[in-house]
Amino acid sequence: MTYRRLRGLRRACQLLFFTAFVALFALAVYPIRTPVPPDIFLRSDPLIALSTMVSLRRIVLPLLWFALPVAGASIVLGRVFCGWVCPMGTAIDIGERVAHLRGRRPSQAPPWRRLKFYVLVGLLGMMALPVAHRSARELGLSQSVGLSAIYVMDPIALITRTFALAGTPAAQWLARYSSDTVTGWTYADFADRHPLLLRALSPVQLGLSAVARPVYFRAGLLTFAVFVGIIALGRVARRFWCRNLCPLGALLGAMGKWSALRLAVSDRCTRCLRCVNECKMGAITENPKAYLGAECIQCHACAAVCAEGAISVTLGSRQVGRETEVRLDRRRLLGSLGAGLAAAVLLKVDWGAKRSAAGVLKVSSSRLLRPPGALAEDEFVTACVRCGECMKVCPTNALQPAVGEGGLEALGTPVLVPRIGPCAQQCNACGQVCPTRAIEPFRPEEKAHLFMGTAAVNRSTCIAWSSDRTCLVCDEACSYNAISQVVENGRQAPVVHEDICVGCGICEWVCPVEPLGAIHVGSAGDRRHLSREEQRRLREMAAEPVDQTAGEAGRGGGRAEGAAGSPYPGL
Amino acid sequence: MSRDEYTRRDFIRRALGLGLAAYGLGKGLKLAGGESAAEAAGKPTVVVARNRKPAELVRAAVDALGGMGKFVKRGNTVLVKPNIGWARKPEQAATTNPEVVAEVVRLCKAAGARQVKVMDHAVDRPDQVILSMTGIQAAATAAGAAVSMASSPALYERVNIKRGKALKQTDVMRDLLRADVFINVPIAKVHSSTVLTLGLKNLMGTVWDRGAWHGSASLDQAIADYLTEIKPDLVILDAVRILLTNGPKGPGRTKDLSLVAAGTDSLAVDAYGATLFGKRPEEIGHLARAREMGVGEIDLRRITIKNV
Repeated sequence: MTYRRLRGLRRACQLLFFTAFVALFALAVYPIRTPVPPDIFLRSDPLIALSTMVSLRRIVLPLLWFALPVAGASIVLGRVFCGWVCPMGTAIDIGERVAHLRGRRPSQAPPWRRLKFYVLVGLLGMMALPVAHRSARELGLSQSVGLSAIYVMDPIALITRTFALAGTPAAQWLARYSSDTVTGWTYADFADRHPLLLRALSPVQLGLSAVARPVYFRAGLLTFAVFVGIIALGRVARRFWCRNLCPLGALLGAMGKWSALRLAVSDRCTRCLRCVNECKMGAITENPKAYLGAECIQCHACAAVCAEGAISVTLGSRQVGRETEVRLDRRRLLGSLGAGLAAAVLLKVDWGAKRSAAGVLKVSSSRLLRPPGALAEDEFVTACVRCGECMKVCPTNALQPAVGEGGLEALGTPVLVPRIGPCAQQCNACGQVCPTRAIEPFRPEEKAHLFMGTAAVNRSTCIAWSSDRTCLVCDEACSYNAISQVVENGRQAPVVHEDICVGCGICEWVCPVEPLGAIHVGSAGDRRHLSREEQRRLREMAAEPVDQTAGEAGRGGGRAEGAAGSPYPGL
Repeated sequence: MSRDEYTRRDFIRRALGLGLAAYGLGKGLKLAGGESAAEAAGKPTVVVARNRKPAELVRAAVDALGGMGKFVKRGNTVLVKPNIGWARKPEQAATTNPEVVAEVVRLCKAAGARQVKVMDHAVDRPDQVILSMTGIQAAATAAGAAVSMASSPALYERVNIKRGKALKQTDVMRDLLRADVFINVPIAKVHSSTVLTLGLKNLMGTVWDRGAWHGSASLDQAIADYLTEIKPDLVILDAVRILLTNGPKGPGRTKDLSLVAAGTDSLAVDAYGATLFGKRPEEIGHLARAREMGVGEIDLRRITIKNV
């Protein structure tokens, strides 16, 4: 096969993986019916696997199964992942091509490629910080977790997050705009005229207003800006991100140090430097025989453009030595390790501050509501890579990136915002798509005892408590019968049963008091630090609520037992 | 004062009503069996079908009202509004029986309807779960309907409630306003804030902002006001299985009645529905208010119950 053909094959491979990435992302909707886990790209990311396991101090098997083959392939084949598979790399290639970003001349590209190794080491330094894990300590275990900030730089997490927080709303808006404004068709019109289109759209639940609600994410713009910024760096140098910043690239490059896949340059080389100009990674220096092995992403463009046919790709050939690798400064490496540790210390300045049993900092917002199945707070914040899959898949749009609820260390982690949407009783999608098991899988039936928080009625703004009007919408909507009514001065009003309420937030969502509702879910009842079995037992111990109005005539008698004794007494 | 105006109007209506009722009664006795006489006298009819399979209950009830052809003409667009408000299974009786909805759709199609839309605006989330869990999407789609949730404000249009007391205006489903025929297919349940939810209460699922109704001077009055403007052409009350406790969402105690009641007077059907729970219609606030607005009859003595 000629190297030109090989280049075509590589591009096809990139597109194939990119399409698979987009398709799996789009199909990540409740109920999940994808042939492979929708988070497979994230789980295959060795950096995510490494960081999660190092910072949690334990093996996470669902990550290991997928990340190990990729790691193995990198040891043998070098950074083949970066050139052939990585959706971020493909997005950058496409972006650079579309926007005609060609970078500066190779000699003028900034020599910053060591940076990514320092980034990697710095991040590892953060993970090394021993943070006494609160819930473990309460259980008498001496377990600690580190602090992971891998989410800031991991490319797979980054692109998934961009698709989730910015891509989904944009795609939905486009679909809604075209269906509502351009065609003006209603759902029934679609069903009549274009049943196939409707069927094609329904698995991805794209936005015809009759098919899906518009989704909204806070911080979507910020995420998008970062993504655009990464591509725009192509003005300075092609694949700037992959050469200089990507910690995954650094990790794979380091692992591929002794890879078998190498370039061999024959004596036919005329030093025309065409390959030097062609190399996206700037991995070929002035001497083609001494390229940077850890920087090569195996695109083989050099071989394709070589007029003399002097460059060939070989497996295991030792005939040509290559420049050892990027030379790293030991002092700087230690410096980055220390900087990472220091950053973790600074992020954890809350040491000594009061924490709840679930590990929630008592100075953080009382609105720090985590999805059901979430790990205790310390572990959760560390394990979450902020990929946004849980937020994308949440059918009620209730999961949003944290902006301040959990402090700086929890930035971008999922929080339940009941006023945007409730945690639907039947849904367990977030637990099925979390690549690092920061949200552990759970069955919908378990939701009755996965306590996220507790609702409380604000009696001064509640319609029923503060006026003589009738409103018990929260009671109507409660999925777990955790709200019942009391009669106070002859009026019905809602009360919450704290030992039954799991904090799903549907009461807050339906509350007609604008704008913020008169019933609020707070993180007070958060019981993540307990095992599911313990939570289940607590739920079983809770007494079933008794309605004060039961059996009364007239208003409120709606709940009266045995009211339907004889069906037709009036006749 | 509105109260004065009220009394006067009420007096005239009652006088007329009593006169007509007396006339009808006499005529009815004379004809011995005379529904037609009762109808002629303006006495609303509620057809009650019992002890059959759900689909057959619907067919029997509609047939007794003169068949679906009386309501749906060839080429009509029909909006069917069941209760698809909650993510609950059909057997939990929090949503309309899917077989009942499917049969209504089939009858409309058989009568020549061009398009039958089955729509609701659910309280619960998310729509996909509700549509599939209630069984209504599958059943009604198979019967030939387009089933959807109106979950976007873009699908609503402002309507002025001219005679409204608590409710002056509200945003109503555009598909309802444009439909030639509007069929309300509620399920009978207890309800924590309105005692019962029957046909009138089910109409709350045709507006965008229900919260405004709760925030209004009186929820009961708002429900009554709405009927002065938006009147179903036909009400088919599903009481195949009714929910007795923890309404409207349940889960709670249920009871199998194997019954479907139907009629054109929304209030009369609801008045009959109340008796299924051992309630007098006047006990139900919104029915009493609607009666005061003069949009129908709740006095069971003035309603013809036709058992089939």
